[in-house]
Formats: sequence, C-alpha cells, structure tokens
Amino acid sequence: MQMPEPDQKIIARRGAICAALRAVLPATSVIESDEGRRAYDADGLSAYRQLPLAVVLPETVEQIAAIMKYCHQEGIKVVPRGSGTSLSGGALPLADAVLLGLGKFNRILEIDYANRSVVAQPGVTNLAITHAVQADGFYYAPDPSSQIACSVGGNVAENSGGVHCLKYGLTTNNLLGIELVTIEGEILRLGGKHLDAGDYDLMGVMTGSEGLLGVVSEVTLRILQKPATQRAVLVGFDDTTAAATAVGDVIGAGIIPAGMEMMDGLAINAAEDFVHAGYPRDAAALIIVELDGPAVEVDALIDRVAKIMEKAGASSLKVSTSEEERNLFWAGRKSAFPAVGRISPDYLCMDGTIPRRRLPDMMVLMSSLSQKYGLRVANVFHAGDGNLHPLILFDANQPGELQRAEDFGADILRGCVDMGGVLTGEHGVGVEKRDLMGIQFTEDDLKQQQRLKCAFDADHLLNPGKVFPHLHRCAELGRLHVHKGKMPFPDLPRF
Amino acid sequence: MIEIQTLDEAAEAICDAQQKKHRLEVRGLGSKRALGRQPDFDDCLDVSSMQGIVDYQPEELVLTLRAGTPLDVIQAELDKANQMLAFEPADLKGILGSASAGTIGGVLATNLSGPRRLTAGAARDFLLGFDAVSGRGERFKSGGRVMKNVTGYDLSKLICGSYGTLAVVDEVTVKTLPRPETSLSLLFACDDMVSAVAKIAAIFASPHEPGAAAILPQFLAKRANIDTTAAFLVVIRLEGIDLSVKDRAAHLCKIGGHVDSLPQNPSAALWAQIRDVDLLRDAAGDIWKLSCAPSAAPAIIAAIAPHFDMSFYADWAGGLLWLAAPSGAAFGAALRDQVAAHGGGYAQLIRDAANSKAVLSPFQPLPPAQASLTKRVKSAFDPLGVLNFSRMHDGI
Repeated sequence: MQMPEPDQKIIARRGAICAALRAVLPATSVIESDEGRRAYDADGLSAYRQLPLAVVLPETVEQIAAIMKYCHQEGIKVVPRGSGTSLSGGALPLADAVLLGLGKFNRILEIDYANRSVVAQPGVTNLAITHAVQADGFYYAPDPSSQIACSVGGNVAENSGGVHCLKYGLTTNNLLGIELVTIEGEILRLGGKHLDAGDYDLMGVMTGSEGLLGVVSEVTLRILQKPATQRAVLVGFDDTTAAATAVGDVIGAGIIPAGMEMMDGLAINAAEDFVHAGYPRDAAALIIVELDGPAVEVDALIDRVAKIMEKAGASSLKVSTSEEERNLFWAGRKSAFPAVGRISPDYLCMDGTIPRRRLPDMMVLMSSLSQKYGLRVANVFHAGDGNLHPLILFDANQPGELQRAEDFGADILRGCVDMGGVLTGEHGVGVEKRDLMGIQFTEDDLKQQQRLKCAFDADHLLNPGKVFPHLHRCAELGRLHVHKGKMPFPDLPRF
Repeated sequence: MIEIQTLDEAAEAICDAQQKKHRLEVRGLGSKRALGRQPDFDDCLDVSSMQGIVDYQPEELVLTLRAGTPLDVIQAELDKANQMLAFEPADLKGILGSASAGTIGGVLATNLSGPRRLTAGAARDFLLGFDAVSGRGERFKSGGRVMKNVTGYDLSKLICGSYGTLAVVDEVTVKTLPRPETSLSLLFACDDMVSAVAKIAAIFASPHEPGAAAILPQFLAKRANIDTTAAFLVVIRLEGIDLSVKDRAAHLCKIGGHVDSLPQNPSAALWAQIRDVDLLRDAAGDIWKLSCAPSAAPAIIAAIAPHFDMSFYADWAGGLLWLAAPSGAAFGAALRDQVAAHGGGYAQLIRDAANSKAVLSPFQPLPPAQASLTKRVKSAFDPLGVLNFSRMHDGI
C-alpha cells in the first residue's frame, strides 16, 4: 500500500512540534516517545503499521481546536482516532502526521428521555450508550460487532451499521446532532435535539467521511424504547440459491425482520465447533431471522416466516423458545470471526454489498475464485440488506499468501460492483479499498467528492492517503474545464 | 425556458449559462416554487420531462426512477407492490396554491417529510444514490442502488434539502418499505401543551411502538371533524399487522386521558390533513414551519402566543410546529429568537401571504462559521452560481 510520501521537513521538526503542542495541552497529553507512540501504530487493519509523528490526547474541545489551529498554520497533517477498531485502516497513522486520539472524551453528557436522546463525547463506546439507558427501557440501535470497544465518534466517521440496521438504520439514521472542529480550529454545532435543520446537511456528509472532513467532538444520538419481545428462527438450507430466494420472499411478504443473517457451510461448521449453538452442520446455508416487537406480533410473524422458509425448501427449522436459546442462535453468528480464526492462521475480512437477488451468482463467483487462488473462503452475510463479509483464509507465514488473499478480496469486490453493488457496506474505504475506488467511480465522480473535501480542508491536512487513490490539489480541482474553446468568466478569480 | 431530457443536455445548458453569465432556475412541476427566496433568474431549466420508473425491485426495497417523476405516478407504482415511501412526503399544494404535489426530485431537494419522519426518518434517510450534473457542468454520481453503502462521501445527504443549488439530478434510487397492513389512531385529551408533550413522551417510553404523534388544539381538531371538549388532543398513530395494532392500542388506552379512537380510514384522512398542513389552509397570513426539540415546544408557544394573532398545531411529538400568523417580519423574528433560546432548531417561512420575504429571510440565517463553510460547499459544486443561485441564502 503506497501512502503519500512523508514530509521529511515535518519529521525533522518533531521535537519542536511536540514542544509547541505541549504549550496548548497538558504535558501528559502529548506522547513523543517511541514506546508511547507504538501503542497507536495500527488500528483494526493490523496488517499495516506506522509510527505516528506524535500522539495528542486532548481533554476539551478547546484543546482540539488549538491542536487543529496549530497544525493548520504549520501545515502539519492530522489523523483522528477513536478506539482504533477500524477494519479498513481509517485510523492508520502517517509518519508525518499528528495522531489525534479522542480516548479522553469518554463521558456521557446528558440523558434526555423527554426528547429520546443522549448527548455524549465521541470517545464513549457504542455499547456504553445502551448501558446508560437500558435500566429505563431504552437502547441505542446501531450495534456494530465491535460495539464493546468502538467509539461513537468512530461510528460517525465510518457510518457504522450492525446486524439490526435492516430495520433500524445505520449511524446516519440515528444521529441527531454533532459538534465538529474544522481543520482551521473552528467549532461548529450541526443539528441537535430537533429533527430537521433546514440547511445543507453537513452533518449527513460528515457521517461516513472517515475523518477527512473534520473532528467530531460531541454527538447527540437518538435512543429507542427496547422492543417488548425478541425471538429468532434458525433455518437450514441444502441449497444456497433457495436460501437467498427465501430471504427475498420474507421481505416481499412485507416483513422487515430486526435482523436477517446468513452463513455458508464453512462458517456454519467453524462456528458450531467453537460455540456448539446447535447449527445444522450439513446445511449449505444457514439463515437466522430475528423478529422484535409486541409478543403477539412477533409470534404471528414468526409463524409467517416459518411458512415462507418451509415453502422455499428449508431442510431444518428451529424457533427460539427462550431468551437463552435466542442468544445461543446468535452466539455462533457473533463469534463467526474468532471461530474462523481457529481454523486458519490468518484471515482477511472483506465487506461489500450486492443486490440481494445476485447472491447465488456471488456464491458461484467466490467458489471459482477460491479455486483460482487456492484459498478457502467462509461467508457471513447480512442477508437482509445484501452486505457480504467473506472471510478469506490464508497463512501470512507462507510467502505470497497475503498478496493472494488481497487479490482474491479485490476480485470479490470487483464482482460486487459488476453485480450492481458497492465496494463497502459498513467498514469504510480507508486504505484497504482506496485503490479500488476507480472500479465503482469514474475520475469525475471522485474529483467531485474531492472538491467537497476542499471545502472543508483545502490543504488536504486531515487524514490524507485514505479513501481517495489520487490526491489532486484543490486549486487544480477548482479549475473549470474549457467549454467549446472558451473559458467561462476568464476574469473571475478561482478558489 | 430550456427544456432538457437528459443530463448531457443539462450539462450543455449549464455550460452555455456559464458563458452567458446566466443564472438558471431549476424547475420540475413548480409545485414548490413558493418556497425559499425568489431572486431574479435569467432563464429556467425545465427538468419535468426527465421522468419515469427505471427499475423497481420490491423485494430489494429499492426503486430507481428519474427525478422529474410525479409523486402520484410513484404512488401508483408502489401500490402495486404494497409498498410506500416511508418518510411520507407532504403534498403542500393546498397551502402553496400549486397545481400538483410535484416530483420526487422536488421532494428530495426540499427534504420534505411527513408525520412518519418521527420514527422512520426523513427524505434524506431514504435517498440511496443519484446521477447528476453539477453547476460546473460535469456529470457525477454518488451512492448506489443497494441499501447499505459507505463508499465515499454520502453526497445523497447533501443533495437532499439543497433546493437545487448544487446539481441537476436525474436518476435517483430510493429505499422503499412495505406498507403497514393496518393503522388506527388513539386520541388523548390534555389541558395544555406541557401535558400534551409529556403524554407523548410517556407513550414513547412504553414498548408499544407509536409511529406518529401530533397535538391539535381544540378548534383545529373540530376543523378535522373531531368533536372534543379538551383544550388539546394528542393523536397517536399505530401501524402494523392487525393483531399487533389492536394489542398495542389496548395497552395504550389504559394510559390516562384516552377519549376516542379512529379506525383506519378516518385515521388516514386525519393524518393526511396533518401531513399536508390542510388544517391551516384557511388561516389568514403566513405559514411557518418550526423544528425544535419536542420538549421545547410548549415554552416556545407560551412565549409567542400572547403577542400574535396566531394558530398552530404540532407534529413529530412536538418537534414540528406548523404556525399561521399575520405577515411581516415580527413573527418570524420572534420564532427564531425563541428557537435560539430553547436549545436550537430552525424556523422557515413556507407560505408567504404578503411578501414577508422582503423583510426577512425565509430560511433561518446561518451562524458565521457555518455560513462560510456552506458557501465553500456551494462553490465546490457550482462555483459560478449557475444553479438556483441565492434561492436558499444570499449568495448560495
């Protein structure tokens, strides 16, 4: 992975830069030592490591603003970081960039049941929001698998989803307001406890911007009343195509389950070996459908789902009869990644989305790619919304296997785009999928996205080298093309 | 008037406008022309011919269509599959005096959402991707045709509510949802706004899944043919399968103050009036839309009502106020002061009865840092100000 060439002049000034940052921060908030910086050298995409120029851990929004203002004035790059759980390298440090960690922003500021919202600092973990309100019957809906560790600020940066986003939406659909610090060190408040804001939806565009547009210093989240009942159905199929069809049939019947997950044979067996959830080992595909709501509704819909599954050719079907059993159904799915980790020295977790009806074609493609690259692939799949997570099994100690696994992954993502889907459903582009952006977008599409970046960060100081394969200077992007040999308004100054 | 059929034609027209230093009004069916500022435009780009369903996959919950497609055409298509646009776009023709409910492009450009916005999300939550030509005259696309997608910046959010000031949009892909099998409304009597908002908060703290919540003062309830002696009526809509709706209704009826229930048809008729602001259609003067924290609504009303000859009702659990009051600058200025004093939000002039726009901005003015960022965003898409220039804010 080629990262932007580090600026040696900045690196040479490391001591002076740290001293200047200590002037605006408590001394313990600036980490300069090698061993101190080592703790921040990677995020969840641990194949890539880099020591940052320095690590700063501000405690107040004014300190964030002071850091940004200083870095902006001095032309120093900034990489924001929440809990560092990104699977796409969104928080990968750069040798010439200050790593801005938000770990000390770990307080819930307000719980407001009258307006069904929680105001929190960005370093609070996703699960802590639910923990803070669950005694009163509320919860925070987006539930990425890393929710015990990932931060809500990181959730905004990556627009995180989870197994329940088919019914309850992604972060962007559950975010009411943010406070944001720009690279110039200005503090903006967007949205709030009101629903509509009546101006450009800058909060919407900040969500999922992977730390390239600004640093989120506070979030206001929508909380929901916990459903009265949750029940799950575990369905085995001998045939993947029949399973994929069944998923479409459920939605076609007007039912939006709280979650609808699928696993393939390899993933089923790995999970079953690991947690003994009672999964059908001989099934080609397993579907977990969860329904939530009032008990009478859940019972009625479970019956409808069971009938649809049977009609679609299910080979086995179990309905949870207790909360323990429901949790057991999920235990296998939720531990699919570590379970696969037990059967292979290493694995690469991919993330792409396809129109759901193309799933059978995708399974065919994956099995032929598996043969081509000589690597196994296990599949877990957010079936309801078409989001695939193929796990490519490899051994990093075998020369060339990491490269083969990455090539295999890239081919799967190309397949996603060919089938009408997208490169990433919920993990973000980061550095991992940066060089594949050209598969989904034209150069013009990407240039327009970068013009938006220029409106927020004209010097490309925030998280450069992520998301976009080529960095264009903002002056160049701002130039208007010559139309019929004439430049429009040649006398006007360009931004 | 420049009629265009394709984005290539739009690009051509925009480049010509750049040469001529023209500012273009982008117009579909014109149903929402009354919204926003009305600066002088040199010409009009008519996009109403860019219509039609491109691809509809009910089982994928996605609908791809051209932005000029009229809402009633979309409705008819969705009806066939028993689906809906869950954000419940409002039809403002009654209060704006326009000829139709307009197009999907207009709904997205104004981010216009109805009562279900409270629980299902706004128009901006349902746009998955689009193709467009920027004010630079260049084609670009963003998002996709699948429900889950975090590839690149989410420009769909930015396009929604930008009033056509950034780009001319052709194909849009929106998320659809199954239509609820049945619905009904429960009516609760309250003495004042404070108790009405508190009643709704209590209902939303229960697991009985209310889908929409409005507050009607007595005289507007009567206008909707609901006879009541209560000063305020809280209206709660429940949706879903019949068994569930009945079960939830039975639980919620036990909460104090329940006075009546409306079965499906009268319930749907009432919510259409709430959605489309029909309840204020005959009120004199301007109509304003105010979005605030639900719990702030009673204090905002209490601060303003004594000083103006106004009428109002609330949707979104109190978080959306529709207000009618005499024209002029005073009312809007008072609303904006109160919004600022009560935790934020915004007030927009929707029906301008007697040129109030001449004396105050229909859109809430932006704080300085946000205004300059907004200007830079506009420049990133439309550096010469070709598209709907100054429609939202001066210079944007």
